[in-house]
Amino acid sequence: MKKTYKLIFISLFFINTSGFAQTNTLKINITPTFGAMVLQLADSLFNANDSTQLQVDVLKFYISKVQLLNDGKIVLEEKNSYHLIDASELKSVLLPIENKENIHFDELQFDLGLDSTTNVSGAMGGDLDPTKGMYWTWQSGFINFKLEGKSKLCKTRNSEFQFHLGGYQQPNYCIQTLRFQITNSNVINLKLDLKKILQQIDLAKTNHIMSPCLEAVLLSKIVANSLTVIEN
Amino acid sequence: MKRKLLILSLISLTIVAFRFIDNPLIVLPKIFPKPVYDFSKNPLSENKIKLGRALFYDPILSRNNMISCASCHSQFSAFTHVDHALSHGIEDKIGFRNSTTLMNLAWQSSFMRDGAINHLDMQALAPISNPVEMDESMIHVVSKLQSNQLYTKLFYKAFGDSVITGEHTLKAISQFMLTLVSCNSKYDSVMRKQTSFTEQENNGYKLFKKNCASCHNEPLFTNDEFRNNGLSLDTSLNDYGRYRVTKNPSDSLKFKVPTLRNIEFSYPYMHDGRFKKLSQVMNHYTNEVIKSKYLSPELDKSIVLSSNEKVDIIAFLLTLTDKSFLFNPQYFYPKEIFLESAKD
Ligand code: HEC
Ligand code: HEC
Repeated sequence: MKKTYKLIFISLFFINTSGFAQTNTLKINITPTFGAMVLQLADSLFNANDSTQLQVDVLKFYISKVQLLNDGKIVLEEKNSYHLIDASELKSVLLPIENKENIHFDELQFDLGLDSTTNVSGAMGGDLDPTKGMYWTWQSGFINFKLEGKSKLCKTRNSEFQFHLGGYQQPNYCIQTLRFQITNSNVINLKLDLKKILQQIDLAKTNHIMSPCLEAVLLSKIVANSLTVIEN
Repeated sequence: MKRKLLILSLISLTIVAFRFIDNPLIVLPKIFPKPVYDFSKNPLSENKIKLGRALFYDPILSRNNMISCASCHSQFSAFTHVDHALSHGIEDKIGFRNSTTLMNLAWQSSFMRDGAINHLDMQALAPISNPVEMDESMIHVVSKLQSNQLYTKLFYKAFGDSVITGEHTLKAISQFMLTLVSCNSKYDSVMRKQTSFTEQENNGYKLFKKNCASCHNEPLFTNDEFRNNGLSLDTSLNDYGRYRVTKNPSDSLKFKVPTLRNIEFSYPYMHDGRFKKLSQVMNHYTNEVIKSKYLSPELDKSIVLSSNEKVDIIAFLLTLTDKSFLFNPQYFYPKEIFLESAKD
């Protein structure tokens, strides 16, 4: 008697976790660019505002709560949806589409950054692990978006700029929800254009944001607007 | 058939519930409220606590492998840095604040005197990366632990995985800290009707309830809130407390109301350790409270106490001493764990 139940439980467990029913995967690529060029970290200098040279050393950010919609209704919601996008080791976001070979969708939605619940939930693993360097140590909270580099415009030590954007409490809540029109396909390509971001920042004045503040919220909006779908 | 299943699941549910309430790994005293810490996200186990205890006492968490958590949090002083007004860290660098006691942390909703840390799990990151405390990085700590045989063994036993992660490191440290429960003082015995206060203690208790318990309320002796208790600003530190976190002027000079359990041994007192003796604390509350705009309203009306009454309150405060906590061998430096590793 007992044994049968155990067996049923075990087999149920496997069906749930083994991806047995998974037939398809949706791939989301986010490519950091600088205008028309694909971004190369550290070793190259870009011509930003014509006259100024600039180098990007670190670009890391979180996307979370990935969803697909059709006609404004959610048709797929990724569970435990946290992804750290790191320009130094780009990976696609893989969205398993279980049991839904015939799924139809016309929009992709996700959050740039992490919500306040995630920010107060203690230690977590995977992309949220504290060794990822995306957590403030002296005051709790995740860094949603990290951009570090050098520009001649910055009158700072080694001409460095550092933007660590985050904050999970109003009025400094930085999370941005993004929605894109897409076509029903297995691959979605997005780009984050750093040129667009840096053209909207006066690097001579703003080159150092390291804690939750209104400027960080403003910049998070600029970043969000610089993430777009690459048309096929 | 269905019924059997129902009964089976009911039984297993009660087992789970019972386990939580009567978890032998940590005492949840009946008179304490419901803990704030969500144990379901980090279920206690003997091996995780053991690992956490090793990490707490191991200077491997610091850059020069010389400072451990216990360097600033020693058991016999209820896990504060005894006799140091401001804590000392790596290469004897002096910190910004007086170290806090560590006890009954499962009932606390934020950490640090200004509440800068929002979850017990994340607390260890602060001292580990503070340049005047342990001056390390979490990623380097994890790689040091990974190349240490003792720890790959302990992590495997605790988490079933010898690949060490930041998450597991922090959760294990939390587990040990969660076991630091103090609930066996004379006060507790009196509440359990196992003994009674002396006349003096009883008088002190009454005065305490009248003058102090609005902030230091029973049974934890803190309301877990931030208050301005009328201390003058030390201009050599310019520590505005809670304001540093919220940037809200009304939080100026507010600090976390600390527990008063084991207060006899956790001197010096206040965020900057300005008072060495309880009698000085008493004199502060009666004579030295600074009536600023943001002074906590409970202190608007001056506290008036005769010198005998002050002595009575102190006598009561001494009943909060919990020797079974201060000398609990389960919290000692874990010689046996480190020796085990030296042997092989
Ligand atoms: C150099 C001394 C030092 C070291 C090392 C140190 N701490 Fe602390 N700890 C402090 C001080 C000082 C505070 C209070 C700081 C504040 O409020 O700003 C504190 C506060 C805390 C608190 C908050 C308690 C409360 O009631 O809010 C916890 C928990 C804690 N430490 C745990 C640890 C752990 C775990 C470690 C080891 C990873 C550690 N500490 C290492 C000095 C230290
Ligand atoms: C308005 C709220 C409030 C009231 C009322 C109050 N306290 Fe406090 N108490 C605090 C706060 C806040 C602190 C911490 C201040 C700091 O960190 O600098 C504190 C700190 C202390 C400390 C030092 C604890 C430590 O570990 O450093 C003692 C002892 C103390 N209070 C005793 C008393 C006594 C006795 C009374 C009654 C006469 C009293 N308090 C009334 C808010 C209050």
